[in-house]
Amino acid sequence: MSMAQKIKALIVDDQVTSRLLLGDALQQLGFTQVTVAGDGQQAYEIMQKDPHHLVISDFNMPKMDGLGLLQAIRANAATKRAAFIILTAQGDRALVQKAASLGANNVLAKPFTIDKMKAAIEAVFGAL
Amino acid sequence: MNVDVPRKRLHVIQGNFLVSDQPDVVLTTILGSCVAACLRDPVAGVGGMNHFLLPGSANGGSGEATRYGVHLMELLINALLQKGARKDRLEAKLFGGAQTMSRLSDVGRKNGVFAEKFLGDEGISVIGSSLGGELGRKVEFWPVSGRARQNVLSGNETLKTVAREQPVAPKPAVADEVEFF
Repeated sequence: MSMAQKIKALIVDDQVTSRLLLGDALQQLGFTQVTVAGDGQQAYEIMQKDPHHLVISDFNMPKMDGLGLLQAIRANAATKRAAFIILTAQGDRALVQKAASLGANNVLAKPFTIDKMKAAIEAVFGAL
Repeated sequence: MNVDVPRKRLHVIQGNFLVSDQPDVVLTTILGSCVAACLRDPVAGVGGMNHFLLPGSANGGSGEATRYGVHLMELLINALLQKGARKDRLEAKLFGGAQTMSRLSDVGRKNGVFAEKFLGDEGISVIGSSLGGELGRKVEFWPVSGRARQNVLSGNETLKTVAREQPVAPKPAVADEVEFF
């Protein structure tokens, strides 16, 4: 079983199209266990019931944004070790620094490429 | 003497977007094969327009072109949400995507198909559209009232417009990715 097949990934984005694209990218990278959530709140509920190894979350979302979700996940003993990658469409240095200080593993700018997504995940888990 | 009240006309160039909640603002653009999506939340009284040309083929899937198009739609939607719009109230008007003889590929049609599919997937209703055809368009959109007006370009103007339209390479929002570990 490859590393990608072992990792349980959670995709969090309020846009249906972005979720589809992300899911497609993960499938291309060999992932077989992928869950999706439409906002931070929903993602946090999923993580509490079923902690995933990897969370790839959009920054700008209603209810709970990506940084809010990151904080909530890091504050919970059961989920705090999950790898967390933030995707952002309009990021700036301040956001990147905030994400880093809150314990994000990586920040990726949209539109991402498959290669960059792969590199960001491999930086945490090693070769997929 | 009849004096027109000057309106604020803001031009949206390719690869860009603008949003406004000012009633006197008119967003304008000139389209050949490019598509402009005009989105508006009638309750919040805010609207905006983008202007895009997907690089290469945009026939769905997970290609770079699709991600680029999604990115440009997302930037516009995020900017509207920041001004108080709600996604479930957004309505759209689509313009552009002309199929001209000077372009051999059917990039104009694909841009229109992309925009319609994106809005459909996101549950945003398209309340008016003028897509395709052989001639370019000059579009005006009043972001607060949602009124839109288009003038069809002449054959010559269309050729000049299409010649200026080049797919812009996707530009990431942050200076590349940042690795923390």
